[in-house]
This record gives sequence, C-alpha cells and structure tokens, in this order.
Amino acid sequence: MPKHAVRLVLLLVIFGALAVAARYFLVDKSYYKYGYYRGDAVMEIAQDKPRYQGTAYCESCHSDKVSEWSKSVHNNPDAGKVVKCEVCHGPAGSRDPQQHYMHAATGRVHPDDLKMAIPTDTQALCKLCHEQTAGRPSQQRQIVVKDHAGALQCTLCHNPHSPGTFVGSLAAPEHRGDAEAGKGKIATCLDCHGANGISAGLPGPTLAGQNQTYLIATLTEYKTGKRNDPMMAPIAAAMSDADIKDIAAYFSSLKCKSAANTAEQTAAAHEAGASVCVNCHGANGSSADRGWPNLVGQSKDYIVGTLKAYAGGQRPNTAMNALAKGMNDADVEKLAAYYAGYSCK
Amino acid sequence: MDELKMNEKEQIETCQSSRRAVLGYLGSAIAGSVAMIATGAMLPKAAHAAEAAPPVPALPGYDWSKHRWAFGVDATKCIGCLRCVEACKAENEVAGDAHHFRTWVERYVTLEGEEHARIDSQADPVNIAASGSEKEYRFANRYAGEKVEKAFFVPKLCNQCTHPACVQVCPVGATFKTADGIVVIDHTYCIGCEYCVQACPYGARFFNEEQGVSDKCTWCYHRITKGLQPACVEVCPVGARVFGDRNDKQSPISQFLANNRVQVLKPESGNAPNVFYVGIDKEVI
Ligand code: HEC
Ligand code: HEC
Ligand code: HEC
Ligand code: HEC
Ligand code: HEC
Ligand code: HEC
Repeated sequence: MPKHAVRLVLLLVIFGALAVAARYFLVDKSYYKYGYYRGDAVMEIAQDKPRYQGTAYCESCHSDKVSEWSKSVHNNPDAGKVVKCEVCHGPAGSRDPQQHYMHAATGRVHPDDLKMAIPTDTQALCKLCHEQTAGRPSQQRQIVVKDHAGALQCTLCHNPHSPGTFVGSLAAPEHRGDAEAGKGKIATCLDCHGANGISAGLPGPTLAGQNQTYLIATLTEYKTGKRNDPMMAPIAAAMSDADIKDIAAYFSSLKCKSAANTAEQTAAAHEAGASVCVNCHGANGSSADRGWPNLVGQSKDYIVGTLKAYAGGQRPNTAMNALAKGMNDADVEKLAAYYAGYSCK
Repeated sequence: MDELKMNEKEQIETCQSSRRAVLGYLGSAIAGSVAMIATGAMLPKAAHAAEAAPPVPALPGYDWSKHRWAFGVDATKCIGCLRCVEACKAENEVAGDAHHFRTWVERYVTLEGEEHARIDSQADPVNIAASGSEKEYRFANRYAGEKVEKAFFVPKLCNQCTHPACVQVCPVGATFKTADGIVVIDHTYCIGCEYCVQACPYGARFFNEEQGVSDKCTWCYHRITKGLQPACVEVCPVGARVFGDRNDKQSPISQFLANNRVQVLKPESGNAPNVFYVGIDKEVI
C-alpha cells in the first residue's frame, strides 16, 4: 500500500478510536438505559419533595378545624367540590432551596419549621371563587360584592371553615321560656315599651315580634352590664334567668307585621348600604336568623341612637361596630328612615 | 424506523460493555476497527435479548410500565379561580412572574353582537392589575357592565402527547417521554436552544431566561410517582381537572373518558394529545 494511504487509514482509525473513547467518557453512563436520554434524569425528577400535603395531613393536629370544615359547604366530595385547607392556607411543605431546577428530596414542613399563612384579606380570597364574573358557571354561588358585603371582610359574617354558618348568630336557646308565665311579669315594661310591646314614640324600643334569642341575649347583657342603659340596667338586674326567658318568649309571641316601604326609601337605603344589612336583618327588617334582631317597628330616633352607640363602641358587637364605624351621618339618616318606615301595622 | 433506532442503540451499548476491549484497540487501531465491525455484525441477536426485559427506574413502590396517565378538563365546571396556576407555581418553583406558566387558564367571552370571542388569560395586564401583583393571579371582573352572550374558562397545560413534536426536535436528548407517558426535561442536559418551545403546537413550553433552559408541565411527575395527584388537581375546588391512570378502569380519568364525549386540542397536528376536554367551543385551540 502506498505510504500516504496507510497514513490516511491510520489517521481515520485514530480519530475513530478517539471518538469512541470521548463518547465513553462524556456520555452519561445511564444514557440509553431506557431510551435516548439520560436514564438517571427520571429518578432525579421523580425524587422532588411534594409541597401540597393534602387535607388528611392536617387532621392529626387540627382535628377541630377539619371536623368543622368537613361538615361544611366547602366539603362536598359527592359533587366533586372541595375547597381544601391548602387552597386558602398555601402548601404545608417546601423543598430545600436549590439552584433552580436542581431536584431535592428534602425540605421543611409545617409545623416543624414552616409557618402557614393566615389569610387576612378575606375579601380578596373569597372573591376569587365567589365574585359574580363573566365565565363563571351559574352553579357556582356568586355574589355582587358591592351589594353583598360592601367593604366588609367576608369573615365578619361567614365562618371561613364553615361559610354556611354565620359568625355572630346565636344558637337557639336550650330551654325556651314560657310565654304565659312571661305575660304576668311585664306590666311595668309597657309604660316605656308600649301596650302590646309596640313602642309608638315611647322611650323604649319595640319588643313585639322580636327574635326570642336576641331578647334573651340582650336582656342578659343589660344584666351583666355588657350593654349599658340607665333605664334598663336596674330593671334587668332584678330579673332572674327564668324571668328573662319567659319575658322574651312573651314579647316574641306578640305580632308586629311590617308595612311596606316606598320605592324612593328603598332606593335611598340601598345607596346607603342597606343591601348589606339585609344579610343579617332580613329583607323587610325581619331577620330570618334567631340571633339577629328584627329592626321592624323601631323608631328613627332609636335606630340613629343605636347606630351611634355602635359607632362609638358604647354598645359592643363585632359586626355592628365595624359597620357603623364606616357610616357617615347622611347614611345613618337614610338607613334609619328606611327601617323606621317598616312600622308595625 | 424503530428497528433502525434499536440497532443504533445496541451498537453503542455493545461498545460500552466492551470497555476494556476498546481501550485495548487504541494500541492496535486496525485490530480495533475489525473488532468493531465484528460486534456490529452480532447486533440483531443482542437486540432481541434486551427487549425481553426492559429496565425500569428504581422508584420506590412505583413501576412505570404499569401506568398510563391521562388528564381530563371539564371546562363547564371551571370557575376561573386560578388556584391551579398558583399551586403549580409553588409546587414546581416556576418563576413568580406573569410570563412563565406550566399551566394557565384562558377566558373566552363573546359579547352580544360580536362575532369572535375575546380571549384573555391570567397574564393579561388588566388581570395582573386586578390581582395587584405578578405573583398572584385573578381574573378581573372586566365584563361586569357589558352584555355577555357567552363566556367560559378553559384550563390549559401540557398535553403529554403520544407523538410529541418537542421530543423529536431536541438535538441533545434532553427531553423525552417516560414509559408511563409523561414528557419531561432533563435540565442538566438542556442546552437552551428552544427548538422544543417552537415545536410545541400548544405553546405549553416556555424558556427560562434565568437558567437558560426550557421548562414545561410534568403533570407533577414527582407527585404522581408517589401516588399523589398533580398539584393543580389537588387544589381545584370544583373538580374541573381530572387525573388518573387509564390502566385502572375505576380511576377518575377512565370514568371521565367513559362518561363524557371528549375532544382534544388540535387533533390535526398529529401529536395525539392526552389531555381530554369537555365543554369547549371551536374557538378554543
Ligand atoms: C403535626 C401537627 C400539625 C399538622 C399536621 C398541621 N399543623 Fe398547623 N399547626 C400546628 C401547630 C403546633 C401550630 C401552632 C404553631 C405555629 O403557630 O406555628 C399550627 C398552626 C397552624 C396555623 C396558624 C398559623 C399561625 O400563624 O398561627 C394554620 C393556619 C395551620 N396550622 C394550618 C394547617 C394546615 C392547613 C395543615 C394541613 C395542611 C396543618 N396546619 C397541619 C400543628 C400542625
Ligand atoms: C376558604 C378558605 C379557608 C379554608 C378552606 C380553610 N381555612 Fe383555615 N383559615 C381561613 C381564614 C380566613 C382564617 C383566619 C380566621 C380569622 O382570622 O378568624 C383561618 C384560620 C385558620 C387557623 C388559625 C386559627 C386561629 O384561630 O388562629 C387554622 C389552624 C386553620 N385555619 C386551619 C385550617 C385547616 C386545618 C383547614 C382545612 C380543614 C382550613 N383551615 C381550611 C381560611 C380557610
Ligand atoms: C377556591 C375557591 C373558593 C374559595 C377561595 C372560597 N369558596 Fe366558598 N365555595 C366554593 C365552592 C366550589 C362552593 C360550592 C360548594 C357546592 O356547590 O357544593 C362554595 C360554597 C360556598 C358557600 C355556600 C353557598 C351555598 O349557599 O350553597 C358560601 C356561603 C361560601 N362558599 C362562602 C365562602 C367564603 C366566605 C369564602 C372566603 C372565606 C369562600 N367561600 C372561599 C369555592 C370557594
Ligand atoms: C354582613 C354579613 C356578610 C358579609 C360581610 C358577607 N356575607 Fe355572604 N352571606 C351573608 C348571609 C347572611 C348569607 C345568606 C343569605 C341568604 O341565605 O339569603 C350570605 C350568603 C353568601 C353566599 C351564598 C349566596 C347564595 O346565593 O346562596 C355566598 C357565596 C357568600 N355569602 C359569599 C360571601 C363573600 C365572598 C363575602 C365577602 C366578599 C361575603 N359573603 C360577605 C352575610 C354576609
Ligand atoms: C323607664 C323606661 C323603661 C322601662 C320601664 C323598661 N324599659 Fe326596656 N328599654 C328602655 C330603653 C330606653 C331602652 C333602649 C336602651 C338602649 O338604647 O340600650 C330599652 C331597651 C330594652 C330592650 C332592648 C331592645 C332592643 O331592641 O335592643 C329590651 C329587651 C327591654 N328594654 C326590655 C324591657 C323589659 C322586659 C322591661 C320590663 C321588665 C323593660 N324593658 C322596661 C326603657 C325602659
Ligand atoms: C353581620 C350581621 C349584621 C349586619 C350585616 C348588620 N347587622 Fe345590625 N345587628 C346585628 C346584630 C348581631 C345586632 C345585635 C347586636 C347586639 O346585641 O348589640 C344588630 C343590631 C342592630 C341594631 C340595633 C337593634 C336593636 O334592636 O337594638 C340596629 C339599629 C342595626 N343593627 C342596624 C343595622 C343596619 C342599619 C345595618 C346595615 C348597615 C346592619 N345593622 C347590618 C347584625 C348585623
């Protein structure tokens, strides 16, 4: 063979061998193991520590919250609708900080070294799913936030772990009073609260048809001094718990049917924020909830006076204090006129 | 085609296994090349032996040959709360900005008198303004005053195609399809050429400028191989996202496919996607 041909062949062979050697050293050992890729990458990707732990994880420590939640409107697995803990509180796990895209099987976990977020702006949170928005299917319950809540936090009224039950609404009393017995204990009251419990300009507010639970709660508050009034304090102080229940049962059994408001009143009240009041005090000032008072039959002066007392904090109540603080005098006037318009027939 | 690939693969494997031999050949080059031709001739036999028991990655409690994952989206249920998008970002450490998403949600709104739907996603400036931050996502109530004829949300994510175009174009074997059907990226091998980003007909891939690599949805491969649901499915409050194993006839996805008339996006692209949709219009592509 000519010399130059031998050299060429030799060179080719050397290059070939170098290529094979280079490939051996440079290509990962797991390449081609399962296919045309680095087989070890599968393990690396799969080893990452999951962050979301699931609701079962919370149960071992927060069983109270989980049991409250599991009975709530936010846990409806039959319909496939479940708002899990970590949707509102964020993931309970994390992954150890790595240079980006390097995978890690380790990480911090709540409660050891990871604190869960507690949502503070619940309007922002709940609106994500409940604000009336184009595109949201109608089976999802939606609200027009301005009308439903105004600027209030949703958790002022809704329990976040059981949004179908309301904060501040009182449970029905275990032992209801005896209205007949109550009738014999109220003679002194009528001077101030009106015959039949309808105030009609007297200093005391209308009691006829008022919710029993509310009457019991508020009389008890007069008695303990939580609610303060120079006229009512001594009267309530003299009542026994049984008296309070009987009297409450009696007044709530009296009738106060509301008369309708005019369209102008309704519009003015709506502007002043009455659509929010409706949530708790009912459509015509007749609350459907036993814990929230009816406003029907109250005088304008009484309503203005109470709202000012709530605004100033003299009468403590989380919901009403927050609401009244946000009202200006004109709003108070409009709302009071509106509710006073529902006089007892 | 398949056979050809197999031959190539075997050839290399054989070379690797005869490491000492190859080193020896370095000394006597001609003998080496002869030997290589000889090993090449032995190939077909070796190929059959390897096919009998394909290797399986040693993941604890998980055999990838036993699963066939698939994903369902019921757009009639989606409420556009974007919890999936935020959960995905957290679970997968996707950059916390409004430009990189492994999964996203589109909104299609047809106003009265208009021919075509207006389309926006959580990355739309109006929606970013409504959320107040690029790290948080919400759909602005932007059509509140308009007469809306029709509107719906469509969650999107990687289709984990049976014939993924993105894998075909990768020049370095950095992206591949696992035996259980997930297309993943080996970020240590990715050279950031972005061919795959271009190749994907669904825009499911994006480029991470900071790291210089492409990235994509993996259906949370690290979760599903541990028996968990992908993070987006885990947090969906209305069951609009369905995930499971098609090999298990009782799994949510098998039930979903059995009980619904489903469709896939851009079937004409030939990628054979594995995300199945219910309740979308022809405008959704
Ligand atoms: C192993 C027990 C344990 C588990 C499991 C657990 N927690 Fe906690 N969690 C705690 C303890 C202890 C605290 C109080 C310590 C603290 O404030 O950090 C706490 C506090 C919290 C707080 C209030 C944080 C604060 O700043 O006050 C929230 C919210 C919370 N957990 C949510 C969850 C959720 C959601 C889960 C399930 C994904 C969960 N936890 C699982 C033990 C646990
Ligand atoms: C719809 C959203 C939502 C969901 C779902 C939810 N939480 Fe909460 N959670 C809240 C909010 C809002 C607060 C703050 C309550 C407050 O300020 O009174 C809170 C407070 C807490 C706290 C602190 C309570 C305290 O008094 O300090 C714990 C613990 C907690 N949640 C656990 C859980 C667990 C466990 C679950 C799942 C069963 C869960 N949460 C589901 C919204 C939610
Ligand atoms: C991630 C989405 C999501 C978030 C956040 C969320 N919800 Fe819900 N909520 C739902 C879904 C879904 C249902 C419907 C359950 C069903 O239809 O069975 C629901 C049901 C309700 C209901 C019952 C409606 C009815 O009468 O049927 C109320 C009330 C409610 N949520 C209030 C809230 C409040 C208050 C918050 C904030 C603390 C909140 N939700 C946060 C998704 C969410
Ligand atoms: C002032 C008290 C109050 C506030 C604040 C409030 N809600 Fe309500 N909400 C209620 C009451 C009371 C109901 C029950 C109304 C009914 O049954 O008619 C209700 C009902 C709902 C319902 C069910 C509606 C339906 O059609 O069945 C949803 C959803 C809801 N609220 C969400 C919210 C969200 C989200 C917020 C915060 C933006 C919020 N609420 C703030 C009192 C309130
Ligand atoms: C001297 C007049 C007077 C007498 C007598 C009187 N009250 Fe009152 N009562 C008032 C005044 C004034 C208020 C409003 C106080 C306030 O703003 O807190 C009031 C408030 C109440 C309230 C709260 C009503 C509401 O809507 O919040 C109840 C309940 C009540 N009285 C029951 C009674 C009962 C029962 C008796 C008889 C045993 C009685 N009162 C006797 C003057 C009187
Ligand atoms: C979250 C539910 C809730 C909402 C919303 C609400 N209230 Fe109340 N309101 C209450 C409760 C509870 C009381 C009784 C508080 C107490 O015991 O002092 C009350 C008491 C009152 C009283 C005193 C009633 C009496 O007989 O003494 C007035 C007046 C009143 N509210 C007006 C309003 C007006 C006006 C609005 C709307 C701007 C409103 N409330 C919205 C829950 C609510």
